[in-house]
Amino acid sequence: MARRANFFEHLHPPTLPRRESGFGYTFGLGGITLLLFVVLGVTGVLEMFDFSPQAPENYRSVARLTFEVPYGWLIRNMHYWAGQAMLVTATLHMTRVVLSGGYKGRRLNWLIGVALLVGTTLTDFTGLVLRWDENVAWALLVGTNVIWEIPGIGPMLYRIIVGADKVCCSATPVRFYTWHVLGLALPVAILIVWHLWRIRRDGGISHIAGSRHIRRPRAELVRVESLAAVTTLAALVWLSVSMDAPLGPPANLERPVDEAKAPWFFIGIQELLRHLPPLLGGVIIPVGALIAIALIPYVFDRSKEGEGIWLNRPGRNAQVIFGAIMAAIVLLGVIGALRR
Amino acid sequence: MRGGIGYYAALALASAALLAGLLAAVTRQSNPAWAGYQLAYGERIGEDVEIGVRQIVPSLSGEPEFCLTCHIGIEEISPSHPVEVYGCTACHGGVGTALDADLAHSTLRGGRNPSDLAVVSEGCGGDECHSGDPARQRDHIARVERSIQATYAGAIGAVLWTFGQSDGETHFGIAATFDPAPLPDTLTSLSAFDPDSYDHPSIRGFGENCLSCHLSAEPIARRYFYRSTGCAACHVIYADDGLYRGNDPTIPRDEPGHPSAHRMTTAIPYSQCNHCHNRGNYDMRTMEFVERDDLPPPEYYNATERRLADYYQPIGLFTLCEWELDCIDCHTSFEVMGDGHIYAAQADIQYVQCRTCHGTLTEPPATARITDPDDIALGRAFLLGHVELNVGDTVVITERGEAMWHVRQIGDEFVLTMRVTGERLTIPLVMDSDCEQRPDEQESRYCHACHAYER
Repeated sequence: MARRANFFEHLHPPTLPRRESGFGYTFGLGGITLLLFVVLGVTGVLEMFDFSPQAPENYRSVARLTFEVPYGWLIRNMHYWAGQAMLVTATLHMTRVVLSGGYKGRRLNWLIGVALLVGTTLTDFTGLVLRWDENVAWALLVGTNVIWEIPGIGPMLYRIIVGADKVCCSATPVRFYTWHVLGLALPVAILIVWHLWRIRRDGGISHIAGSRHIRRPRAELVRVESLAAVTTLAALVWLSVSMDAPLGPPANLERPVDEAKAPWFFIGIQELLRHLPPLLGGVIIPVGALIAIALIPYVFDRSKEGEGIWLNRPGRNAQVIFGAIMAAIVLLGVIGALRR
Repeated sequence: MRGGIGYYAALALASAALLAGLLAAVTRQSNPAWAGYQLAYGERIGEDVEIGVRQIVPSLSGEPEFCLTCHIGIEEISPSHPVEVYGCTACHGGVGTALDADLAHSTLRGGRNPSDLAVVSEGCGGDECHSGDPARQRDHIARVERSIQATYAGAIGAVLWTFGQSDGETHFGIAATFDPAPLPDTLTSLSAFDPDSYDHPSIRGFGENCLSCHLSAEPIARRYFYRSTGCAACHVIYADDGLYRGNDPTIPRDEPGHPSAHRMTTAIPYSQCNHCHNRGNYDMRTMEFVERDDLPPPEYYNATERRLADYYQPIGLFTLCEWELDCIDCHTSFEVMGDGHIYAAQADIQYVQCRTCHGTLTEPPATARITDPDDIALGRAFLLGHVELNVGDTVVITERGEAMWHVRQIGDEFVLTMRVTGERLTIPLVMDSDCEQRPDEQESRYCHACHAYER
């Protein structure tokens, strides 16, 4: 008697292309990213039971969660590390897609993916602010002031995001909390579902044309995914047990800080802001890079050829553009990090 | 991967790693770092201590503090700073809601000492605290910052003069300071002394070796010299061996350099003054500090002999009461902590003489009757605890009108209550005695001529 497929198997088509569903091709990056997001959801809800968004109670509640609530430190550490890891795995997943031509013929899903990258980054950014320690000063002061520089809509956008004409203790942390949970994480969840559904809609995972007949049953893939999931969870738990999420002294926005530090994923932008005017370094260049990435299947590689082939020739322009942007982000990040 | 043995082995390994991680989390949760301190405290006091987070909500801030979770057993700093009112962070700063030592201590004021002069305005200041009304003598911080113990102006001026680097006026102190309302004979301001700006080797040597005796200077880290800085230099008592003898398990008891307890007091014994004073001399030729070699060892605890042995140096002239009493039994708050004005040298602010309490051949000591229930003297006596003083009492006053509130006139007698020990001594008066002092020689040095005590 044939075994009935379980829930996880049902998330996949009955069979998948053997090569392209293998770990050596995807490195499980999309699935690991999804798992980290689920972990973020679960730990995030647990954190919400103890978190108070208003300052200064927000810092106290984070401290209480970290030091007093049983296993609160574990929940917080897992949430933190899963958040940082998700940004890394999502970016690597995107890199894999670019290098193997996975975007070809899947323009909409590519755009959803870009939106997910933006959403993930902003969710991480707003999440870091919630702890309201002295390290949020950059995020609150430099990070948000960049919004003012956007011509025309800057001040209005600033008020929508920050909740007032300047960062203050009543409106701003509540705004960031709401953005983090409902304004960003929830849309990201919806986009993730859409992203996954689009894969099926686009004919399953991208693969070399004509390789459809070499396939594997989905149960096999689910087994690999299970192993990757348990390994990822084990790594996450060990990381959370051995390295604590950062928590500094409470924020005091009245007191100037010696050196406002950007979160690690914005060090590159902080470095740009050191050398360039805010509008150029904080808005035009980052948004320009993002638009360039979004336009990859529309402008830099409109071909269908090369799908599923690493470093395929038709996608060379796309690979160079994406590689250059990533290299610039990493390089600026390293320069900025060395400056600290 | 089709579900062969290799797959299940890998899955088992990953699952074991996950399980081990969760067990590590359970271990970490059940063995917090602070529990070790609580166990150590239990051992120290010989009782079972309930292991758990200790939270206080001081009434002053209304914000919870976890500090006593680790610092369980620490002594309350003083009865006038009750922990349930002040908590810890009101003075010390730091992050009271943290149970991680690095975070909790990350914003401490002045390290362990919030009264260090670099941070004292934040640590002890405020209108309601020690930056208060000068008329009520609540401006302790401003007074101390301008006091000779903080400015060291006399020593600096004398050395500059000795080596021909001075115009004879006093211009320098340890830090720049300013008196907005100077007296005719006091200074308006001092600039910060920078020994490196002089070419003279003796001035540079003075800067390197001899600036260890003011309130901002770190103490010499050797026995006899252990003390704190700022207010705590005097008000927090150190043993000669610099060992902590209290019950805070985070403070090692075998590491010199700690006060004997986490406690501030106005009952400052002579031994505390001695951590700076009477410990040796500066050699003006080599510009080096020469320690005394005749000090009793820290473990020498015959109190009377010890007092005599380490009180004054062999060449000094001193009388019985000068080593029998504590320094603060004679030297007043204005003399020691300053009166808010900037003086050029110690001698300019030292005015209490033998005659202040003993009178002269023709006059008894000057006295005043306490009539105001808000008199500062009553508050100080109350703070000290063991000096009984009430409205209607008559006390000796200094030539500046400052009440020697521990020296009362009772009938015809003048009775001094020692501020540290509470011991009561009747003061012999010069009047009607055989004293041969001349009317124009009334200063203490003339008393020493006859009353010097030979060791």
